[in-house]
Amino acid sequence: MQGWLAPRYLMWLGQGFGVTVGLALAAAVAATAAGSALAMARHARYRPVRYAAGAYVVAFRNTPLLVQLLFWYFGVATLLPEAVMQWLNTPHSVHVAGLAVHWPSFEFVAGWLGLTCYSAAFIAEEFHAGLRGVPAGQHHAAAALGLTPLQAFRYVVLPQAVRISLPPLFGQYMNLVKNSSLTMAIGLAELSYAARQVETETFQTFAAFGVATVLYIAAVAVIEAVSHVVAHRRDLSFARR
Amino acid sequence: MKSRTLAAWLLGLMVTVSGIAHADRLDDIKEAGVLRVATFDSNPPFGFVDPATNHIVGLDVDYAKALADKLGVKLELQPTNPANRIPFLTSNKVDLVLANFTITDERAKQVDFSIPYFSSGQQFLAKKGVLKSPDQINSLRVGADKGTTNEITLREKFPQATIVAYDDTPFAFAALRAGNVQAITQDGPKLVGLLASVPDKQNYEIPPFTISNDYMGVGIPKGETRLTAFVNETLKGLEADGSAGKIYNRWFGPQTKTPLVRIFKIGDKT
Amino acid sequence: MQWSLFVNNLPYLLVGAFPEGPLGGAALTLVLALSSALASAVLGMAGGIALAMAGRVVRVPLLLVIGFFRAIPVLMLIFWTFFLLPVMFHINVPGLAAVVCALSLIGGAYLAHSVHAGILAVGQGQWQAGLSLGLTRMQVLRYVLLPQAIRIMTPSFVNQWVSLVKDTSLAYIVGVGELSFVATQVNNRLMVYPVQIFLFVGFIYLVLCTVLDRVATYWLTRSGRAAQASVRSAAQPVPGE
Repeated sequence: MQGWLAPRYLMWLGQGFGVTVGLALAAAVAATAAGSALAMARHARYRPVRYAAGAYVVAFRNTPLLVQLLFWYFGVATLLPEAVMQWLNTPHSVHVAGLAVHWPSFEFVAGWLGLTCYSAAFIAEEFHAGLRGVPAGQHHAAAALGLTPLQAFRYVVLPQAVRISLPPLFGQYMNLVKNSSLTMAIGLAELSYAARQVETETFQTFAAFGVATVLYIAAVAVIEAVSHVVAHRRDLSFARR
Repeated sequence: MKSRTLAAWLLGLMVTVSGIAHADRLDDIKEAGVLRVATFDSNPPFGFVDPATNHIVGLDVDYAKALADKLGVKLELQPTNPANRIPFLTSNKVDLVLANFTITDERAKQVDFSIPYFSSGQQFLAKKGVLKSPDQINSLRVGADKGTTNEITLREKFPQATIVAYDDTPFAFAALRAGNVQAITQDGPKLVGLLASVPDKQNYEIPPFTISNDYMGVGIPKGETRLTAFVNETLKGLEADGSAGKIYNRWFGPQTKTPLVRIFKIGDKT
Repeated sequence: MQWSLFVNNLPYLLVGAFPEGPLGGAALTLVLALSSALASAVLGMAGGIALAMAGRVVRVPLLLVIGFFRAIPVLMLIFWTFFLLPVMFHINVPGLAAVVCALSLIGGAYLAHSVHAGILAVGQGQWQAGLSLGLTRMQVLRYVLLPQAIRIMTPSFVNQWVSLVKDTSLAYIVGVGELSFVATQVNNRLMVYPVQIFLFVGFIYLVLCTVLDRVATYWLTRSGRAAQASVRSAAQPVPGE
């Protein structure tokens, strides 16, 4: 019924996939950092900090990502002064170690920001659950050994919390890849956007969306495989001790 | 056990349903008593939501009403953006598409078109003083609508331009206003309609050049020859008895917010 | 911002053009979310029970199918059910049904895993006790395992349903007039108030999700607690023994 896509269109899809992967990686790094900060804030000693972190998590977990992205792209853009918007929209490049690093488009920045803020709330919850999952006895034992709270946290509690949170954390990374498809609504040329473009020009709906679907599933499968390998290695390393 | 019975039911249902023969679409519409039409909901004055009644109104909607009245059936409108027009038609969600649908040979392979009922050129909208001639376009970031001929034409004629495609014209305009793009491209009349409702329209302008000339027709599912013939006859009739002129004046006449002289009449091009 | 503009558009945001037109806005979001929640609960229970009880022949393809629905982005699946399935099978699927279908399949896939995990978590002891009492496997499942498993699975069900409410926002992509779609229409018309509109819409979703979270948790744990109570009272030693 419909033939294969011409190489030009396959390249569009490939580029879109590249943007998806880049976006997901950048957002994963930022969201993990932000999420761990948030999780620790929820255990902070000062009540306003705890409440603020809790409120952030509730607000960003219970609103749809689509609405958040539209807010960042269209809403915030009207709030920022025009000079800032001009700077964000002109292409810049910096030469680092012989490579030219280009400042990404505003769509990418807004998409990255939206994804990070959204995923950080979920990752914070996973870390929070991980921290709570460490038995109270561990805290007491560390204190009994004479470790300061900070040392106890760093050497005793944190490694165990990370081990508990690792599988769900990778689950959140898989969600990140899938959620990146929403950035098509703000004009970011990632995989779903590219699939739509190809479909508009060639009308080969099945081929275009089929390739995109396969690529998404491949990306998610890779993350799942990595998750298994990491979990398995950690278990082995603990067993050896 | 549960999943097996469920699967059996689904399979049986799908087999029965796909076996139903294809009746002619015109007969289906008459039998159902409803004409389903896809129109824009955010593109004045072709199709937009009237804040007073929360119903979709516009030039395309008036034509759709005329078609439904001629058939003696009810009109049901499906709001759409440019990218969903063809998918709505090919997946049988609507019977006709009246959404500023440009006639092209590529599209004619997927859908049938009526004779053109509107014509316009592709133009640009930018902040005052930014865009003076077409030569600048290659160096600009230009916003376009996904799924439109405008996007494709822009890419062909100005390959160096950075094109950002949005779901619909108001999104592209919001990006223009925020500075994310420096110009947006659409059919001239749509840009005029858009600008008319903008609160700070004095800051924007539509430079007086076009980069293409397009004809708009009614989108019809492929192979429905009787339906196409009916639409063409109705359109010619509307022109002959002056209704087409009246519809045009209601939205683009001298008393409206978007006055535009009428250059194209139905039947000028077949 | 002029409050009159806001107040004039509020009914449209909440119920769409109803009653002169089809239901839309926040009301339609609720309808979509409730129908998908019900359908995904049914699918999830069926899938989870099948995973727990089936032999390898059924389990492997079932795991693959469930894995597919967990790996595909919701956006892609909505595209498939809305545009492509009708072309393949020549049936006309109205917009609402397509979105509910897509959301239920994905929700059902996630819930199948949770149900399976919940059933396993109840423990082999309960299985064997039930079987040794002469109950058939289905009866053990229905009267012994599921009541206990439901309390364990509650957080997953509630999480999934809250996700569902947020995912209904994606129906916007296929022109279904729920809250995000209607909000975008209003924003397109007013043009200069994106921040206020998207903040308000985010707030509506926040209220919907939080209320759903509380209500669902209460309702599910209440029936779980009632089941526990009846089990406990039945297990009271008969006086005199």
